[in-house]
Amino acid sequence: MNNNGYYGRYGGSYIPEILYTSQQQLLKEYRQAQADSSFQLELQQEMQQFSGRPTPLTPCRNLSKLLGGAQIYLKREDLNHSGAHKMNNVIGQGLLVKRMGKKRIIAETGAGQHGIASALIAARLGLECTVYMGAKDIERQYPNVFWMKQLGAEVVPVTSGGQTLRDALDEALRDWTDSHPSSHYLIGTSCGCAPYPEMVAKFQSVIGRETKEQSQQLFNALPDAVYASVGGGSNACGIMLPFQSDVAVELIGVEAGGRGTKPGDHAVRLSNNRAETDSPAMLGSPGIAQGFASIFLQDEQGQLQETHSIAAGLDYVGVSPIIADLAEKNRLRMIAAKDDKVIEAFQLLLRHEGIIPALESAHAVAGAISEIPQRPKEQNVVINISGRGDKDIFNVASAVGDPEFDRFLSRYLDQSLKT
Amino acid sequence: MSNDRTPETSQLQQFIQQERKLKPILLMTHVVYGYPSIEDSIRLMETLLESGVELLEIQFPFSDPIADGPSILNACHKAINHRPQLDHCLKAIESFKQRFPNSRILLMSYLNPLYRYGLSKLVKEAATGVSGLIIPDLPLEQAEQYRKDCELAGIDPIWLITPDTPESRLVQHCEAATGMLYCVSRRGVTGKTDSQKEDSKQIPTTTVSLRDYLGLVAEKSTVPLAVGFGIRERHQITMLQGLADVAIVGSALLDAYDNGGLRQIRQLITTLRGKN
Ligand SMILES: Cc1ncc(COP(=O)(O)O)c(C=O)c1O
Repeated sequence: MNNNGYYGRYGGSYIPEILYTSQQQLLKEYRQAQADSSFQLELQQEMQQFSGRPTPLTPCRNLSKLLGGAQIYLKREDLNHSGAHKMNNVIGQGLLVKRMGKKRIIAETGAGQHGIASALIAARLGLECTVYMGAKDIERQYPNVFWMKQLGAEVVPVTSGGQTLRDALDEALRDWTDSHPSSHYLIGTSCGCAPYPEMVAKFQSVIGRETKEQSQQLFNALPDAVYASVGGGSNACGIMLPFQSDVAVELIGVEAGGRGTKPGDHAVRLSNNRAETDSPAMLGSPGIAQGFASIFLQDEQGQLQETHSIAAGLDYVGVSPIIADLAEKNRLRMIAAKDDKVIEAFQLLLRHEGIIPALESAHAVAGAISEIPQRPKEQNVVINISGRGDKDIFNVASAVGDPEFDRFLSRYLDQSLKT
Repeated sequence: MSNDRTPETSQLQQFIQQERKLKPILLMTHVVYGYPSIEDSIRLMETLLESGVELLEIQFPFSDPIADGPSILNACHKAINHRPQLDHCLKAIESFKQRFPNSRILLMSYLNPLYRYGLSKLVKEAATGVSGLIIPDLPLEQAEQYRKDCELAGIDPIWLITPDTPESRLVQHCEAATGMLYCVSRRGVTGKTDSQKEDSKQIPTTTVSLRDYLGLVAEKSTVPLAVGFGIRERHQITMLQGLADVAIVGSALLDAYDNGGLRQIRQLITTLRGKN
């Protein structure tokens, strides 16, 4: 990254003038904290004591045998407190908020995972917390909303636009333009104006650092390939950046292929995955929105498009400038997995390994499964399980079509309406 | 461009200064191209120009207008359903310029639609009808090429400053400014959501009083000052007389239009001018 927060031609800072002082303050405090060993120590301790790090690297012997190709290992970010990698970022930013002396955090959330993580850290650090969430996502992920409220956060439904993550992000930025002297915008992924992409990627890079060490312990080598799902790009940046200069390690990002290639049916910004999307070129194009330059899904007039994914956390119109740059430089290969393949991969992991991944993470599994049979048995492949799937119970139940679950819900509703 | 050349006073600046000899304060009204439909938005603009507003700010809609509050956000989203085209918008502006020579037109949009069109190309093509460009998410330090393009085309890039802008940065903006400076009156987005919390008798500002803030800007700047965000009523405009050259009205205009169409618009303009 250069001084202005650019990664190649992506990144930068394109924000309303009113945010300038807070953006500069954040930049300064972040740089100082990076160089401050007591901050780094506190960060490490908090990740250990509050989130349960390090998370394990789990060998998948059954699935490896079944697919008959490379050996599969899972990086278990699902075992973080809150059930997702989002915790790593909120711990880091939360400690920064304390340093800056601000009293309130603003967060956007898609799946609700970042909303929960923000609400948790706010409760722990004694901060006020407002979470913006698309009204459509609230419908898809109500259990997470319930917990955010129980934790004391204010959850604001966003009813403009497509009512998903991107609209929530816009609304969080609007709040920040009003409240910036006392509030910190705690973005949940490695997007936004500088220094957010760098900072979030840095706090997440504990994933990759641990993976590197654990790979040595488990199979005495670096992995041959690393797979991660890419929504905004934070779990991918986290596991991949520590391997960036290990050029023998192949890095593969998996986007949401959704239902197909029509606008509004997917969140495929970068990949040119002919087998899955039969599109001649990547579907996104360069743009500048939400504070940064990157690849966005947009029409020919530069209006951002609607997106779809079975996983609310991957349903995002842009992508981290770090990911866009790595993909452009061919350091990172991007592929996409469609909703139905994701459900298949999800079920496979449940049945054969006894692990319930988040639907976001199941994209990484689906992407890996599509390639692993072609890889030699001697290879070792790491898949980032960015989160656990408990939150997805409603969506999965409807995707796999379990009639008993629906009957249970209606019985439960009848009961609670009676009392 | 050589630095020692003093730029000529821009046409927009000359226009504002001329008009100000006749009036204590000018009006800049803000409309969204394509809202409620392309045709109706043109009619709305014509109505405003017929009613004699000195400056018309036309927003080309973007799906993600992060500096705009509910009224303008909603108008942008509705406008986008009509698939507005930037080149059509420029043509409409060109025709206004010919038909209404006593007003000046500014084009406002967010970076992405302009970037998609080609920012340099846009600046060149806009010059026939547009006097100034307002891009709220393009900060000064990212704007080197844009400023060169604007100077070449004879369009003023209008910079926004806010009550939170530090003095050193204010000075940078004042040095860069041509045409006029857009002084945001307070924190937050356009419209009423957060100004409702505040005393509606005042134009809300944050840490410094509006008078001090505009006084400081006037001291550092050589161009006319326009003030916007949260201006809805006549008394606010009266209060600005002597402190600023232009009062900018946006969300209030949209709300009036939504409530009572063009009739209400004419009435609001009359009221804002204090002519009733
Ligand atoms: C479990 C999980 N994985 C992945 C993502 C995608 O985000 P990112 O690409 O920033 O990791 C999310 C976002 O909500 C998530 O909750």
